[in-house]
Amino acid sequence: MTAPAASQPRLSHRLRHEALRVLFHIYGAAGYLFFYLPIIILVIFSFNDSRSVSQWAGFSWRWYEAMLQDRQIMLALWNSVFVAVVSTAIATVLGTLAAMALERYRRFPGRLFADITLYLPIIIPDIAMAIMLLAFFNLSGIGLHVWKVNFFGVRLAVPFSVIIGHVAFNISFVAVVVQARLAQMDRTLEEAAQDLYANPWRTFWRVTLPLMMPGVLGGALLAFTLSLDDFVITFFTSGAGFNTLPVRVFGMIRKGVTPKINAVSSLMLGFSLLLVTLALLAARGRDERNVRLF
Amino acid sequence: MSALLQRKPGLRAWLLLAPSFVWLMLFFIIPLGIILVYSFLERDVYGGVVWKWTLDNYRRVFDPLYFKTFLASLWIAFLTAFFSLLFGYPLAYYIATRPEKVRNALVLALMIPFWTNFLVRTYAWLTLLRTNTGLINVWLQQWGIIDRPLPLFGNTFAITLGLVYGWMPDMILPIYAALERLDRRLLEAAEDLYASRWQVFRRVIWPLSLPGVVAGTMLVFIPSLGAFVTPAILGGGKRLMIGNVITNQFLGAHDWPFGSALSVLMMAVMLVATLIYFRTGGEEGRRGGLG
Amino acid sequence: MVETSVPAVELRDVVKRFAEVIAVNHVSLKIAPGEFFALLGPSGSGKTTTLRMIGGFELPTEGEVFIEGEPQGYKPPYQRPVNTVFQNYALFPHMTVAQNIAFGLEMRGVPREEIRRRVGEMLELVRLSGYERRRPHQLSGGEQQRVALARALINRPKVLLLDEPLGALDLKLRKAMQLELKTIQEQVGITFIYVTHDQEEAITMADRIAVMNRGRVLQVGTPQEVYEHPENLFVADFIGDTNFIPVQVQQVGDGVQVLTVSGAVLLAHWGEPTLNAGSEAMMAVRPERMRLHRPEEVPQQEGWNAVEGIIRHVIYHGLDIRYEVHLAGGTTLHVRMPVGQGETRFQRGEHVVVSWPHAAARVFRSES
Repeated sequence: MTAPAASQPRLSHRLRHEALRVLFHIYGAAGYLFFYLPIIILVIFSFNDSRSVSQWAGFSWRWYEAMLQDRQIMLALWNSVFVAVVSTAIATVLGTLAAMALERYRRFPGRLFADITLYLPIIIPDIAMAIMLLAFFNLSGIGLHVWKVNFFGVRLAVPFSVIIGHVAFNISFVAVVVQARLAQMDRTLEEAAQDLYANPWRTFWRVTLPLMMPGVLGGALLAFTLSLDDFVITFFTSGAGFNTLPVRVFGMIRKGVTPKINAVSSLMLGFSLLLVTLALLAARGRDERNVRLF
Repeated sequence: MSALLQRKPGLRAWLLLAPSFVWLMLFFIIPLGIILVYSFLERDVYGGVVWKWTLDNYRRVFDPLYFKTFLASLWIAFLTAFFSLLFGYPLAYYIATRPEKVRNALVLALMIPFWTNFLVRTYAWLTLLRTNTGLINVWLQQWGIIDRPLPLFGNTFAITLGLVYGWMPDMILPIYAALERLDRRLLEAAEDLYASRWQVFRRVIWPLSLPGVVAGTMLVFIPSLGAFVTPAILGGGKRLMIGNVITNQFLGAHDWPFGSALSVLMMAVMLVATLIYFRTGGEEGRRGGLG
Repeated sequence: MVETSVPAVELRDVVKRFAEVIAVNHVSLKIAPGEFFALLGPSGSGKTTTLRMIGGFELPTEGEVFIEGEPQGYKPPYQRPVNTVFQNYALFPHMTVAQNIAFGLEMRGVPREEIRRRVGEMLELVRLSGYERRRPHQLSGGEQQRVALARALINRPKVLLLDEPLGALDLKLRKAMQLELKTIQEQVGITFIYVTHDQEEAITMADRIAVMNRGRVLQVGTPQEVYEHPENLFVADFIGDTNFIPVQVQQVGDGVQVLTVSGAVLLAHWGEPTLNAGSEAMMAVRPERMRLHRPEEVPQQEGWNAVEGIIRHVIYHGLDIRYEVHLAGGTTLHVRMPVGQGETRFQRGEHVVVSWPHAAARVFRSES
């Protein structure tokens, strides 16, 4: 090959390189478009001034008004929040204790069994967990009672079975998140507290808990989100007549598509965004604490 | 008492574990056992069980009527994992090669749809894919690109698309985590050496990202196989998966033993997949993580 | 006389086993009240584990720990009258300096007013007045160190345990803190048990040193005793610089007579009690105890050893000159001669005679 010809392929290689770079950027943008476009369209059509979710007929709040006036939807919303709050509270306490045991005591008799019991609910798909719980509640008669409660002025009747089920799948997620936080924690801080006359109880409240708080908050937020998100387990364990928001939405979808569902979906989307923001803030707090640790 | 606890750390561990352990024992392990036992019993006419041992339920799984659905579910789960990997890997690679600030923003942007309600995300696709009134078919017809609606709904395509949409972040995030750990200079070198770019990928990047790929595949395959919401909404009642059959047995047909047998088999497939995971990438990933 | 007073801390035949590993192997120690006691040894020697057993963070597998004559048994750390300064300081990151220092008093229910007063005193003692509201991450390494010290001392413990407290500081700060720690200890009069792997630090600060290796205490004594009269090869090697000459024992009696590889006969006043005629051994001599002479100028002195060699390196060190001398058998000796004392200077390549008094030589078993 002669010298002038040699620059030719090099130039084309360069072009190809540039072209690939541009293509790569386009691919990245397309990927995110794939994730966001369906959600954006969904929100847009919640403001549609007609019954259609594909033909735009002008802007309107009417479906949001319809949603707010739909007593069943509002009841389902309160049910969702109540179940999420109660199950998150229980799962956070239980999961945090379990995380402390697993992180603190590396080896103890029965460790493998404890690990399996605690981590299996994460891997098992919700449909399997749902029928297991259904069979159990049916056979044992446990959890069939209804918890009648006045929740911020709204009268709710929540089956215990739903709360029990939500706690069962949330414990594991909380434990994983808290355990990750504990793994980063300096254990000599607890020894220092004990050295300074704090008994285990006071060591926990004054040192361990404040330091693992970002993890506990992160775990609680995850549990809260999962609980709000859950459809399958609630659907199976609630019995007739009890709806959380996802169960209600599923029922509505079954009957037909209307922008009212888009409006409810947009509401749930807003909820999720709020929770992501909170989780982000918790994570930021976590980073700050880390800086202080070292 | 306190001296005893001081001496026996195992006792303290179990004291802390006790509440969650009891909860999960009662409401997870025992229910699992019930399903296992039920799968070997006979149904009675009222939808309950008769305490007579039988293997009939497992035989019925291989009845072509159900076995076809079982295979179709495996096929859909496989397709979902495959397409999630095919489209997700380049995206993970794209995120991992951005500057750090952009990278963090992109990961967060991936988390937002992921934290959004699964039902909502599936419903969004319903409004896009429906045969006559779905947005895609309506627009394509209005623009005169097609004459008749495309078969986008109520088939394997729709379910797979819905599942890919729902679970692809589970594929992207572990791969991204593996790629992000890679030496940045290695990636830059790979970008520079355009002549051998493919080889660099084959020899360096792919093997090092394999733990992420295996983990991601597991995280997509297992929930896809157990899918219930997606086929119920996007299958349009025509295309079913094993999750829908199980649901029918429990809530419709009241044949709990058979539903239990189906679930046990489904979980067995997942267990095998998990074991394969621990045999291959899982171990490698853990070793990589230690280094 | 020392025996009549109750020791501040006593370890009686203490063993600590972790699964298969024996971290501390039959250690017995008595530490007098008010003493600055150093546990010195390389990493893995069991010194930190020993300290942790006194603090109650580990429980002995066998044996017993006494604090002021009280057996500690299974007592947890928060019931023991000792406090610890941790290696990484272990300051609570979510509390201010004042809250950190007040923690111990607060846990014991001391009234608020008294806590405030004593925190002020402590901050003055460690020269950190005005730092009350800062958080640990806003402090330098040396300042964090002083907060850790104040947080422990404020409780007026019977014994203060210090686990390599200066390990994370740079050399200059280390030297300054050594002095400060020693001053504070003399001021408050509390027994200090100080873990370090730095022999210089132990020698400068401690009243007595316990040298540890592989879970055993090899020697306990004042810095001078440990430095000048090491009782085994490990201690001789670990503390200070030492010349080791491989020898064979010829005769054991009033002192030890040995034979070098090149056939020179040497004498030492002290030899390890277990030595026999014929056994392989090491003669140890400190570099500063050796003298150099030109072959024709060797003085005829009673009680001195002498060997011939060639100077290979001359290194000027300001206060002294260090010579590296090769002996015929392949052994290398380091000799330290003060500058200005004795006009003679030696050149590289010169034939010399190295001499040292019998009293400065000690003979150890080769295998420790």
